[in-house]
Amino acid sequence: MSSHYEAPIRKPLVLGDKSYGDISNDIARPVETPPNIDWWIAFSIAMAAFLWGLGCMAYTLGTGIGTWGLNKTVGWAWDITNFVWWVGIGHAGTLISAVLLLFRQKWRMGINRSAEAMTIFSVIQAGLFPIIHMGRPWLAYWMFPIPNQFGSLWVNFNSPLLWDVFAISTYLTVSLVFWWTGLLPDFAMIRDRAVKPFQKKIYSLISFGWSGRAKDWQRFEEVSLVLAGLATPLVLSVHTIVSFDFATSVIPGWHTTIFPPYFVAGAIFSGFAMVQTLLIIMRKVSRLESYITLQHIEMMNIVIMITGSIVGCAYITELFIAWYSGVEYEQYAFLNRATGPYWWAYFLMMSCNVVSPQIMWIKKIRTNIIWSFVISIVVNVGMWFERFVIIVTSLHRDYLPSSWTMFSPTFIDIGIFIGTIGFFFVLFLLYARSFPVVAQAEIKTILKSSGENYKKIRDK
Amino acid sequence: MEKKNIYWKGFEELNKESEIVKSLEQNEFVEKLPVGNEGENKNHNRRDFLKYAGFSTAAAAVVGCEGPVIKSVPYVVQPEQIIPGIANYYATTIADGYDFSSILVKTKAGRPIFIKGNKDAKSMNCTNARINASVLSMYDVFRLQGPKLSGENISWKNFNSSVKADLSRLLSENKKVVLLTQSFASPTTEKIINNFIQKYSNIQHVVYDAVSNSSALDAFENSYGKRALADYDFSLSNTIISIDADFMNDWQGGNYSSGWSKNRVPNEDNNFTMSYHLQFESNMTLSGANADNRVMARPHQLKQVLQSIYFSLRNQKYNGPSLGSYLDRYVKLAVESIKKSGNKAVVISGLDDVDSQEIVLMINELINSDAFNIKSPKLIFQGSDKDILNTIKELKSGKISGLITAGINPSYTLPNSDEFSQLLNKLEFSLCFSMKEDETAQNSKYIAATPHYLESWGDYEFKSGNYYLSQPTIKPLFDTNQFQDVLLDLIDSQNSFYDEIKNNWRTNILKGKTWGKSLQDGYYYSYDNISLNRIKSNLTFSNSPSSNDDTLDLILYTKTGLGDGQQSSNPWLQEFPDPITRVTWDNYLTISYEDAERLDLKNYNVSNGALNGSYVNLSNENHSLKVPVIIQPGQTPGTVGLSLGYGKTQAMSEEMNVGVNAYRFYDDFKRVHKVKLTKAEGDHEFACIQLHNTMMGRDEIIKETSLKEFVEEDKSVWNPTVMVSKNHIETMVTSKEVDIWREFDRSTGHHFNLSIDLNKCNGCGACVIACHAENNVPVVGKEEVRKSRDMHWIRIDRYYSSQDTIRGDVKAKDETSGYREYRSTQTNLEKASANPQVVFQPVSCMHCNHAPCETVCPVAATSHGREGQNQMAYNRCVGTRYCANNCPYKVRRFNWFQYSENDEFDYNMNNPLGKMAINPDVNVRSRGVMEKCSLCIQMTQKVKLDAKKEGRRVRDGEFKTACSESCDDNAMVFGDINDKESEILRVKDGDRTYRVLESIGTKPNVIYQVKIRNSKKI
Repeated sequence: MSSHYEAPIRKPLVLGDKSYGDISNDIARPVETPPNIDWWIAFSIAMAAFLWGLGCMAYTLGTGIGTWGLNKTVGWAWDITNFVWWVGIGHAGTLISAVLLLFRQKWRMGINRSAEAMTIFSVIQAGLFPIIHMGRPWLAYWMFPIPNQFGSLWVNFNSPLLWDVFAISTYLTVSLVFWWTGLLPDFAMIRDRAVKPFQKKIYSLISFGWSGRAKDWQRFEEVSLVLAGLATPLVLSVHTIVSFDFATSVIPGWHTTIFPPYFVAGAIFSGFAMVQTLLIIMRKVSRLESYITLQHIEMMNIVIMITGSIVGCAYITELFIAWYSGVEYEQYAFLNRATGPYWWAYFLMMSCNVVSPQIMWIKKIRTNIIWSFVISIVVNVGMWFERFVIIVTSLHRDYLPSSWTMFSPTFIDIGIFIGTIGFFFVLFLLYARSFPVVAQAEIKTILKSSGENYKKIRDK
Repeated sequence: MEKKNIYWKGFEELNKESEIVKSLEQNEFVEKLPVGNEGENKNHNRRDFLKYAGFSTAAAAVVGCEGPVIKSVPYVVQPEQIIPGIANYYATTIADGYDFSSILVKTKAGRPIFIKGNKDAKSMNCTNARINASVLSMYDVFRLQGPKLSGENISWKNFNSSVKADLSRLLSENKKVVLLTQSFASPTTEKIINNFIQKYSNIQHVVYDAVSNSSALDAFENSYGKRALADYDFSLSNTIISIDADFMNDWQGGNYSSGWSKNRVPNEDNNFTMSYHLQFESNMTLSGANADNRVMARPHQLKQVLQSIYFSLRNQKYNGPSLGSYLDRYVKLAVESIKKSGNKAVVISGLDDVDSQEIVLMINELINSDAFNIKSPKLIFQGSDKDILNTIKELKSGKISGLITAGINPSYTLPNSDEFSQLLNKLEFSLCFSMKEDETAQNSKYIAATPHYLESWGDYEFKSGNYYLSQPTIKPLFDTNQFQDVLLDLIDSQNSFYDEIKNNWRTNILKGKTWGKSLQDGYYYSYDNISLNRIKSNLTFSNSPSSNDDTLDLILYTKTGLGDGQQSSNPWLQEFPDPITRVTWDNYLTISYEDAERLDLKNYNVSNGALNGSYVNLSNENHSLKVPVIIQPGQTPGTVGLSLGYGKTQAMSEEMNVGVNAYRFYDDFKRVHKVKLTKAEGDHEFACIQLHNTMMGRDEIIKETSLKEFVEEDKSVWNPTVMVSKNHIETMVTSKEVDIWREFDRSTGHHFNLSIDLNKCNGCGACVIACHAENNVPVVGKEEVRKSRDMHWIRIDRYYSSQDTIRGDVKAKDETSGYREYRSTQTNLEKASANPQVVFQPVSCMHCNHAPCETVCPVAATSHGREGQNQMAYNRCVGTRYCANNCPYKVRRFNWFQYSENDEFDYNMNNPLGKMAINPDVNVRSRGVMEKCSLCIQMTQKVKLDAKKEGRRVRDGEFKTACSESCDDNAMVFGDINDKESEILRVKDGDRTYRVLESIGTKPNVIYQVKIRNSKKI
């Protein structure tokens, strides 16, 4: 089914004169060769940032949340902003691998592996924040419904934070299983090529004894389909539930029914932007231009443009509803968002998320690698500010003006955020040198239908 | 018969002659064991080695693992009165020279921990923030632990004999010694001082009040021949005209707000009337903020206003300079109101000159004011500016050789204190009675360590015929001696001060009441009113010159928190937000918008919201100070205010050393001085807990109405039920239709409600400190307050109007249409008016029946109590802060750090002495935990248990919270609404009841009473 005839007007998904062997060589190359100096520089910077963040986290743990810039009115700021931002980024992976699999979008094959890796690594970053933002993180296990000896204590199933715990842990588990399932034939390929006994041992362990028999392939296809079916609702549910943290509250600016679709769209938006950022670099560094083509970049740009427009629509709907509701607190919350002391954050959010993706309507720009890269960064900055705007500007001026105040981050706040970025890149860079970064087994299935050379041969 | 088993021990037993067997018949061992006293056996053997090794290992181990040492000393003999867990109450009296009140002290395990007013006493029984906090001042680590001579510790015996020798020598050389003391208002102390002076005839007694009331005292003395202050009972007046008298604060000894509040609520009993309160003033004071109409005037104008009122009342023409139409209109209004009320009117003044004070006495006599009382005048202040100025002159000229100070700190409070300290230092003899090694003590040769008033005996006559007793509530913590005891010792009396008081009371004071009963009650009223007759009938009408353009009037005032500054090392009071500015840990120059703009002075918020203010150089011909400014709505242009009591530096920790010493400008003990201002370099960092001053026209926070509307209109006009929209149908918020929750059955058991009457609350903040004391609320320090991390469980929000009135704000907001207008209106509403209306609103946890905080806690650490409280299980809290975010009232407080036993927060909870003030019934929260008001669950539980033990129902009025108990104005009513007879139920069902932010549907158990203003329009 995967090697059916493809119309010649369709652009090839694998460029160049690639044979099956070339694909194996290309994908295995980063794993089999030692990293170059650029990788080491990047890794050192990421590691330093990670260690710095780790230090800041340790300081917080030892001293108290007071080391952050929070106060009696603004109880969450960078912590939950970062949490939602990272969870949002984690959305693209599953969307690409699960939803696009179900929709038979074959262009996903070039990017799904890295997108899923990004998902898992960013969900790990996201998962850090709910723990370290606690006043007493050593009691974080109380968030789980574990039978205990504290009497009849049980978690509060009414609390959106508890829903978060379930949503995120489910998402992480399913994503991990899905990712690993896809990795099995590719790990097996590396195992089979490995010459060093240690490497061989490791890759045979993590390829779970893949033998390449027809039965293996059949099961692989079935499991992938089943997992895709399971993961698809998760794409929608995770950020829906994250949005409930705000939507179920009573704070003007948080208490909004539009939040679930708005958050999901935003998450896909930011997730694709992050995939774009990572892959534009990776296709260059790991010489994968044949597999992650300009067409892929263009496709992702289109997704970014569409989700960006949905998000923009949501922003404007919020403003409209604030006016239309006639609720004075709601009206003021949005007036304050747009024109209050944090107007610059709102302006950044609007310009980065709503305006900047619109230039993707121009084909020249959406097929331009530099533009795509810049926009992807801008979108991620914008999406961080979106969460900051939602969280901080709603809290800092709510119902009683007597409690109104402002928030300003400390270097610990900033350090922890930078630390998670460092951690994310440490994981991603390690992944890039030890995992098959493109789903080569899947690429091989479309080589004859979508490969540039095969298309040429066939069309002659 | 016991059968003795013999066991074979060895071959030696076979030899009957064996020495060993023989010796073993007698001894356990064959040879004498090498144990014994040292010296007997010099050879240390294995056993010794093991013993020593074992001991030293154990000792090393004990020293090495230093466990928490908890110093607790069990009673050898259980005192009869002290039952663990049961509080004892003692009636006693505070009279520290600034605050005067009959109080009840709660002691737990022998430690005083809480102070409340002695409600059985009929007068002078109010507590304010300072009195409530004074319990902590006893547990101050900077207290003197014993007497000192030239900086060295010395025993009391040697101290007294040395002082006696010095005094006798001075007496024989006939060198003058001055005894400079606070106003004691104590009959027995007066007697002892007289005896002391009799013995040492070279001693002259001078009374010195740090904050002078001399002009009022002089005026009274000139008019009636007795050095006293007229007393006022504001509950007997329905027109109060105050000319610069901050009578809700410290004016003439305070204790007036409870009388004021009695006449502030219109109801059936008083035929729906309330008093009218018109305030003329320069600074924005607590009284001005609560007035029905507040008129701004400069000090020289205030004097003219008073004179003008006097002449108008006498139907004479006032010949002074013109007041201008604005003031004239209000003078006319004042006169009309006084005339209408007749003897139900009262005029009071805080003007600092004898002429004006005489006019006030005359006016009240003229209108025959009921509230005005000279039959039982106040004797609490006795100081005379003339005497003290004279003493300083004599000190300078060297006429005085010795100085004894008691209860005062002139090296801090005198305007020329540095010069005074030098003179004091050079004196032949100087003796300072002080609780601390303060500025004066440091410059004195002898320092007599005195006990805190809670460790002391004392008697007082606050008002003629109104006697009070104080008794120790704890054994003196340190090696201290009372001033009176030392004097008695110096005159070789065998009696203690206690004996003297007892004798004096038995022989001279008590008639028909026993000593024991009086001591238990803490007061005795003789009801012997004195009759005073006017001895001077001519008044002088002087005029102060008006200022030219570039000088401003500096008006020195005292803040609600620190008063005259004697408790400035009390962390509760330092962190107490000023009711008006809401600034903590500072004093500052209050300045009007107009003057601030002219001088380019700014207040602005930095990125984390904290408030900064410009510095100015404040100067006149004698002094100059660099002071930060607060731009104060309601400050009269041309005037600036600065509070006394700050800038103290000695005998206190670094953290407490805040503000500037405004006593520097207190020349001639006058409150008003001409000063010049110039902008100075730099900006000051304030710790202000309210950064936004207006209510933005929101009408669900504080509801107001006018007296006219309240009387004439239906409730639905001035306190309509809040409506919300459900499916585009306006529905009452109380309706089940709009309720998404299943309601519990709350009809059985207790259900607590707290009602706060905005008409009675004047924002004094006594409840804030009472809550501090009762609930072990931590002090976090200036830096943390600046970061908006204050921990107060109850706060008193203060809002200014942006238009002329608060209702004007609501109207302005409601009448906007269109985005542009809406935006500009909202921007304008952020700025307070130049002479705003002010409202105070105490806000604690609202204990919502549908609490937003409860649903969001992932670990169910906050949940609803059976009795209506929203409860916090500190042990369960993991600190996500979601509850605080979701609280519409923002009353939850998070422990950002460990606030107790942490050197970073070196306040009362970081030393063993300060920790003695901790209430054992309430736990001290650790870091990472959310905390908030519990409706004093420990108090309600105790009431329930007591009733249960006694097998009865809880009586109405028994349930109390620390805040409701501390409210002298009865603004807070607490109780069980399931008790059909209770006052709280009656209040709750009243028409004035509303709930803050009712439209959210939180259904709070803390309810408010609509504020009624009796403002008059002209």
